[in-house]
Amino acid sequence: MSAVPAAPRSRLLRRFRRSRGGMVGAVIVVVVILVALLAPLLAPHPFDATDLLNTWAPPDHVNRLGTDRLGRDIASRLIMGARVSLLVASSVLAITLCVGVVFGGVAGLFGGTADGLIMRAVDIVLAFPEVVLAILVAAVLGTGTTTVIVALSLVWWPGIARLTRSLVLVQKQELYVDAAIVCGTPRLEILWRHILPNIAAPLLVRASIGVGFIIMAEATLSFLGLGVQEPTPSWGSMIRDGLPTLRSDPYLAMFSSIVIGVTIIGFNLLGDGLRDTLDPRLHGH
Amino acid sequence: MVRFLLRRLIGLLPVMLAAMFVTFAALHALPGDPVAVMLSDHSADVGMANRLRAEYGLDQPLPTQFLHYIEDIATGRFGLSFRFVHLPVSQVLRDSLLISPVLALASLAVALTLGVLGGVFAAMHRNRIQDTAVVLVLVVGLSVPNFAIATFLVTLLSVQTNLLPVAGWGTPRQAVLPVLVLAIPSAAYVARLTRTFMLEVLQQDYMRTARAKGLSERLIVWRHAARNMLVPLVTSAGVMLGGLLSNTVVVETIFNIPGLGRLAIDSIFARDYPVAMAVVLLFVLFYAVINLLADLLCALVDPRLRRGMAG
Repeated sequence: MSAVPAAPRSRLLRRFRRSRGGMVGAVIVVVVILVALLAPLLAPHPFDATDLLNTWAPPDHVNRLGTDRLGRDIASRLIMGARVSLLVASSVLAITLCVGVVFGGVAGLFGGTADGLIMRAVDIVLAFPEVVLAILVAAVLGTGTTTVIVALSLVWWPGIARLTRSLVLVQKQELYVDAAIVCGTPRLEILWRHILPNIAAPLLVRASIGVGFIIMAEATLSFLGLGVQEPTPSWGSMIRDGLPTLRSDPYLAMFSSIVIGVTIIGFNLLGDGLRDTLDPRLHGH
Repeated sequence: MVRFLLRRLIGLLPVMLAAMFVTFAALHALPGDPVAVMLSDHSADVGMANRLRAEYGLDQPLPTQFLHYIEDIATGRFGLSFRFVHLPVSQVLRDSLLISPVLALASLAVALTLGVLGGVFAAMHRNRIQDTAVVLVLVVGLSVPNFAIATFLVTLLSVQTNLLPVAGWGTPRQAVLPVLVLAIPSAAYVARLTRTFMLEVLQQDYMRTARAKGLSERLIVWRHAARNMLVPLVTSAGVMLGGLLSNTVVVETIFNIPGLGRLAIDSIFARDYPVAMAVVLLFVLFYAVINLLADLLCALVDPRLRRGMAG
């Protein structure tokens, strides 16, 4: 069951194929995911192997994209960086979808005090700008990958909760929910078994649009030094390392910027394509 | 109007209280004893430790400390810094306080100008090469993080051509790149909004009427069509200013600008948590005030909203 039950799968696929941006995005995303999965096989050198006699090397036939300040191979670090980015993004998505759907669903379905409390909490979290929330989390947990995941999950769940709540409120008007209530089905089971499959499509669209933003936010926090720490490579911290030497050794910052730019463009194009395919009504919002 | 303002101001209270509670809890959930860190190699000196503990109020029960914390914030002192022992946080913040808001406001002005011009330009050349070019730039501007864009702008404008300084703060020339880099994502957003909006408006009947009257294309576009953008622009300007303000942290890091955000990050690394928390509170306050002002501005621009608020 999806939001557009009338359209069989093949028609959805055809509609998606027609969106040029969506196809370009899909290709980029598939490549990034493959690179992330196969990272250790694809990387020409170990990502943390230092070579202090060969620092800031320009691209040559050994180090295709040059080396950084410790003589580590930039290409290998970029390849491992894909894995780190996707790992953070998928963790944040998984956490925020679970938390957001549960809280949003409960708020929408039960209403009353539960609704009031949850939505008040959402308002308060949204009063903190995301970078500020990350600073707060970093102060308590210290810097690191966990901090990024916790901070971004805190930032993202209110949006998912709000969306879920509004979707549930619409579904609540439907006859099948009344029927389930009359049958004596427990409320939470109605939410899980009956309502969730009907709101899965817009939630998926929201999640797919979120991936690009989460990757961007992870890179931003790592760029600020609050996120992923050495020796684990992160695209954001690689740009941070490369910026001061832009005049003499531009390769680190340049290649990292290109890789992260292309990746996020890919995810955003795919997200937009999916939105137009799965839920044409959302277009333009 | 006054009632609306009062209600919104009262609505700010729980948010600020929650922010104060959260930052206070964060300060006390931190691992390690701040007094021990401050004393470093004198940490065996019990007398000194007790004196410091009393000065920082750390010897009192937590509820009392919380009340003192609120009082300190209300008087604008924000407690004492851990890194600069005995120095009030307000002193540490003083020189950075205005940099971030100035950066954000300047970027907002640039983003609105560039965005509206770009969006109208694209809409006027619908489906032609100029339109496609603008849309491609928009995709890049909206998707690529601004520190990645900064890499290329700095290379182009500073390293290759020496047109602008690479980093620093104080002269107008040093401000150009940071303001531009900060403005790019918002400019792209405004341009997309403007383009969509203009494409819709240009198809309205009254546009055909204006054309039939023989008005010049420029008059039609700017006086009759673009004018309607005011309300959506003002609405999104408020949201954008909040985003710009928190993104100053990134720009301050790229260009080594001693603003509030940079100070907060440095304080985290130096374990000067009272300063970091003060910045968090200030940002939340700025954010809330900006949203409030944006709502008020909307009410001024759009009489329909004003009537809705009175009821």
